[in-house]
Amino acid sequence: MNGPHDGEGNEETRPIDVVGARDRVLDALVGFCRALRSAGVAVPPNATITAARALVTVGFDEKERVRAALRASLVSRRADLDAFERLFPEFWRRLTAGLAADAGNDTDSQPQPDNPRGWPAGSVADDVDADSAQDDRSETTRNTTPPNWTRPTPDTESVASEPTLTARYSPTGRSEPLTIDFDADARLDRAIRRLTRAIENLDGRRWDAIGTERVDARRALRESVSTGGTVVSVPRRDRTEQAVRAVLLVDVSRSVLDSLDRRFLVRFLYAATAAWPTSRVFFFDTSVREVTEPFRAPTATAALAALQRAETEWGGGTRIGDAIHTIKREHSSATDRRTTVFLVSDGLETGTIDRLEAGMAWLSHDARRTLWLNPLAGAPEYEPTARGMAAALPYVAGLFAFRGPSDLEEIARQLELDRQSIGYEHDPRRIDTD
Amino acid sequence: MNETNPVFSSLTESDLRALFESTDYVAEDDVVTTVLLALRLEKPLLVEGEPGSGKTELGKVLAEGFDTELIRLQCYEGLTAEHTLYEWNYTKQLLAVQTDDSGGGDGGIDSGSVGSVFTEEYLLERPLLRALAAESAPPPVLLIDEIDRADEEFEALLLEVLSDMQVSIPEFGTVTASVPPVVIVTSNRTRGLSDALKRRCLYLHLEPPSYEKERAIVRRKVPELDGAIATELCAMTQRLREEPFVKQPGVAETLDWARAVAQLRADGDDPEPLSPSTVENTLGCLLKEVEDVERVDDALLSALLESARETRTDG
Repeated sequence: MNGPHDGEGNEETRPIDVVGARDRVLDALVGFCRALRSAGVAVPPNATITAARALVTVGFDEKERVRAALRASLVSRRADLDAFERLFPEFWRRLTAGLAADAGNDTDSQPQPDNPRGWPAGSVADDVDADSAQDDRSETTRNTTPPNWTRPTPDTESVASEPTLTARYSPTGRSEPLTIDFDADARLDRAIRRLTRAIENLDGRRWDAIGTERVDARRALRESVSTGGTVVSVPRRDRTEQAVRAVLLVDVSRSVLDSLDRRFLVRFLYAATAAWPTSRVFFFDTSVREVTEPFRAPTATAALAALQRAETEWGGGTRIGDAIHTIKREHSSATDRRTTVFLVSDGLETGTIDRLEAGMAWLSHDARRTLWLNPLAGAPEYEPTARGMAAALPYVAGLFAFRGPSDLEEIARQLELDRQSIGYEHDPRRIDTD
Repeated sequence: MNETNPVFSSLTESDLRALFESTDYVAEDDVVTTVLLALRLEKPLLVEGEPGSGKTELGKVLAEGFDTELIRLQCYEGLTAEHTLYEWNYTKQLLAVQTDDSGGGDGGIDSGSVGSVFTEEYLLERPLLRALAAESAPPPVLLIDEIDRADEEFEALLLEVLSDMQVSIPEFGTVTASVPPVVIVTSNRTRGLSDALKRRCLYLHLEPPSYEKERAIVRRKVPELDGAIATELCAMTQRLREEPFVKQPGVAETLDWARAVAQLRADGDDPEPLSPSTVENTLGCLLKEVEDVERVDDALLSALLESARETRTDG
């Protein structure tokens, strides 16, 4: 099972004692790594060396063992396993072809190290798709060409013919007229600051080195060694406050935009991305696009333009479940254990409820907490009876109203209390009829 | 670095397979190959997978199979160097210094006597240092469990240890492992790990088990349960995993459930197939969230029993 040089230890990168064969194997391996990288796989920089050593250890006799060896050394994320499995057969073909043609006259079949195009068409096509999707997205942000998600999809049309779509608003809720709030900007900023503090204070058991809160006995003892056992000063320390990490998922379907002050929405997203530098913003209705960049721009123009485009492209209805699955698949790094997800939507799902539930289930254990901001929930008589909203409710930390800065203050207030149950039902402004 | 570990250089895949066999660990071929590589290349093995897919178990069976010490480091938020590498026994140092001082024989705290409290005697070894300092013939298995729960700072600290297999103690010198320990790092993927850490490790993703594999695991781990019933339980668990639960049942839960059912049947001693009430009453072994338990209504329950019945007729 091992190469003849295995025992010599320091010659491990030489799998077979013919120099030509070694070069072929290395060519195939380097080509494979390049193809993986161009397919988006995060191959660690030193992985090729590890892979070569791994190949020496397992030998070349069995395809499955080579597969396992290379998977262990080249792949470091679960998301990359698919790309690996897709490209591996080509590597194996090259490797075996290279070893078989050891006479040395078969240079045509060698991979060109600088040209990963020789790798399976599927992968290259995928790359192109991914690239163009990337381009589309960046073009979207630059406001030049209409992005590819403008075309109405057959899904949208079929959905539009379904009777469920007629229920655009929660049957027991109603949209409220908006009043103009002159010091809204200042209030919004205050609300965001308060929210930031509330979230920061919720998380974290880690200790800061210094502070005032509690006595650091360990350090006191340690320092007392140098003074012969006399404790001269009592050091103190605090719990670390962690920066807020947030993902803002905004439903831009017509039903939401009609029931919401759009200026408030844009100002909120703008202030939130400014206050939480690592946050990411996604717009979704029947498709998802990331709009973090427009909201990072120094002026609000780009952000407004992004929303403008979202408006002009409303299809009718929203597929929250699909949107969450897309984020899970394509932006899996967006959420982690410390992320707070703000989901702005009215919960009127036009996709399947099962998919929404599965998506929310994933979100609920992948992110720290999910706060659902529902513009309809501001009405005093609101109840989450819409199918989608009712299905998603068990998976969210809290469902809140979302009409203006006062609603954000309410969220912050409830988070500050740090109670088990939070949500619109604890809103004191709500007239409790029970 | 290029020297192969003398302990594992002669280890073959069939040896490793026999080891898993003897410790009742059901491993697929790719797992065996990957673990063998990690042992022979002396690389840490980063194991990811759903909760309950046997990540921690892998470390345990390796320690058991090689008959060596298992040093386990459970990670949590706020884990610091003092908890993982070493700490000076301050109390003991303090006492030593004070005794020295009051005795006055050596003339109080001169530099010599203060220096002397920084010796091995006053050192509290924490898991990482203990793993490096061990000198047993098969090296100890260092299991760094759920690294994703620890902070990024701890990950950075781990890099030094994993790449050079040594720890530097300023007052004392450098402790280098004479025999590098077998390192298994597990992660539940609740956050992404740094590239630097991944670069130093081999990667293994444990897939959720297939129906056949799960059945094999239940048969081996819960031999007291009737084979046909075990098959039914596995079929029902597979069906349950299709539901959007807040917490999906893993293999560990299936095993709990199998043991629970085996217990109940041992009491009642009836050869009947599983009754709906037994299933309903023991679901607490599988589902650990109130929302999930509430989700199991009559319709789902009968679907479960249906899938169990299918396997029975198939078999």
